[in-house]
Amino acid sequence: MKAAYILAAGLAAAFISTAPATSFAGETLDRVMDTKTLTLSSDASYPPQSFLNDDNEMDGFDVDVAKEIAKRLGVELKIITPAWEVITAGNWNGRWDISVGSMTPTKARAEVLNFPAVYYYTPASFAVHTDSKVTSVDELNGKVIGVCGGCTYEAYLKKDLVIDAEGAPPFEYQVEPGEIRSYETDTNVFDDLRLGDGTRLDAALSALPTIQEAIKNGYPMKVVGDPVYYEPLAVATDKGDPEFDAKIAGIVKDMHKDGTLKALSEKWYGTDLTTVKQ
Amino acid sequence: MISRDNAGARPDGGPDAAAPASLVDSVLEHPLAQRMLLFLFGVAVFTLIDLRGTGIGELLRPALGAPAESGLWGRFAMAVVLTTAIAFNIVVVNLLPRWSQVPVVWAELLFLFLAFFYSFNLSYEFIGRKIGFLITQGAFTTIYISLVSIAIASAIAMAAALAKMSNNAMAYGVATFYISFFRGLPLLMQIYLIYLGLPQLGFVVDPVPAGIAALSVCYGAYMAEIFRAGIQGVPPGQSEAARALGLKTGITFRKIVLPQAMRLIVPPTGNQFIAMLKDSSLVSVVGVWELTFLARTQGRSEFKHLEMLITAALIYWVLSICFEMLQARLEAYYRRGDRR
Repeated sequence: MKAAYILAAGLAAAFISTAPATSFAGETLDRVMDTKTLTLSSDASYPPQSFLNDDNEMDGFDVDVAKEIAKRLGVELKIITPAWEVITAGNWNGRWDISVGSMTPTKARAEVLNFPAVYYYTPASFAVHTDSKVTSVDELNGKVIGVCGGCTYEAYLKKDLVIDAEGAPPFEYQVEPGEIRSYETDTNVFDDLRLGDGTRLDAALSALPTIQEAIKNGYPMKVVGDPVYYEPLAVATDKGDPEFDAKIAGIVKDMHKDGTLKALSEKWYGTDLTTVKQ
Repeated sequence: MISRDNAGARPDGGPDAAAPASLVDSVLEHPLAQRMLLFLFGVAVFTLIDLRGTGIGELLRPALGAPAESGLWGRFAMAVVLTTAIAFNIVVVNLLPRWSQVPVVWAELLFLFLAFFYSFNLSYEFIGRKIGFLITQGAFTTIYISLVSIAIASAIAMAAALAKMSNNAMAYGVATFYISFFRGLPLLMQIYLIYLGLPQLGFVVDPVPAGIAALSVCYGAYMAEIFRAGIQGVPPGQSEAARALGLKTGITFRKIVLPQAMRLIVPPTGNQFIAMLKDSSLVSVVGVWELTFLARTQGRSEFKHLEMLITAALIYWVLSICFEMLQARLEAYYRRGDRR
């Protein structure tokens, strides 16, 4: 019986102590400078943007960009790998300071996150199995198309893509999919497409660099036509610290100007994706 | 043989109770007839599955020609060959001495299993390159999270079980609410709620503590019921006798009731431990670098997921075999009172 009282008392104490200890926003820059660490949230399953390399360390274009930002802030970079939906949910509570995760600044995301700087543009392309007879984007109407769930490619297929960033190139919806299949991440889409033409999927919509990386690794796929749209990809921060945002925006602008971003893009993608080509 | 035993032991006599007593009621209950039927069933199933594209088709190429063109007859012939092989195997295993039967069956199944994986054309070089980190970082984190969660869950479960058996309405209410709530939520939801929800109250928890907390409260709720059942399974006469001998309540519980309850508690708890080992994979969603997380992400850089998933699956299996052996020893320890 005594144990029960202790349990009850403990629970009561727990309830009382949960009175919100309000955290004041606006201290991101102070925290980064005080601790001398910039904490980056990154997706470990998105080659070549961010992935675990052979030394079991995070590597990729996004990671290199983040390293450069940290270097220019004069701090160390620390990387953590929460699930993508946890990153895009916003409300980071100081767990991490920045996301350099090839995130498209959509209108919905801008309600919970800030996008201080666009650092490159990714072409979005359709891919089909090598056995497929499809040669142009219009032939994809009515087909079963796989995409990552909750990403811009899904929004594009649902004709619900609003990109809220300056300099975003205009685009039009060119495909009327028969069925949209959503997956946890792009690589799962490719795994289903590789099973055969029409076995589970007729086509996939994804980032052109990711498709090319998969093809390089032996996936039996080919790219269909020209990219259907270019999405600007931005650095994201939590709401509430304009000073930090301004600092990040300045650094990324300098990296555009002095060619650092161009060099990194050529290193990882073999081509310059930091400006829009139409 | 089995069918004859059943027929003889049938208590109510079944629908043909009025018929004169006979050991074999119908021809279908004759063992030989049953085996023939089973054989025909096997042939039918394998004919339907169509084995022409498999290794058996290649094996019969000299007899049947190109497997793809052998038609319905080819399908049937392959089904007969495969079913005969399986039947032959069963007969051979039955002839072996008893002690060797189980290892032989295990070895055969394991061989089939490995042959199945072998047919995927996996890159063993890639597995060799990655397995070290998968074990030192992934399996280690998985074991560490599971063990800590098991310890905390056991403590919570004992407290909740005692509270649920208490006469105090408050304690009973709290315990039943806790058990109902945390048994009723999916574990994945609990992990998200603790990881994303607690910071809204001002507690910023790291992924590992959040995962351990979710696993502990969830399994604590399940195990509370196991503990309660175990304690209530000890006959009340035991504590009455202890009281008659003048033992205090606390010592009666610790020295008389609990050791006997453990015999009932250990087997289902071992089950829970093994389940927890695998459920710890859900913690990967908040970015803990445990076995499942690494299995999913390590393969991604070179688009070799199956290699990593199969390797991780085998590591999980080995880990749970270790847990099973531990459970068997624990059971033997708490059953030692039964030996005379």
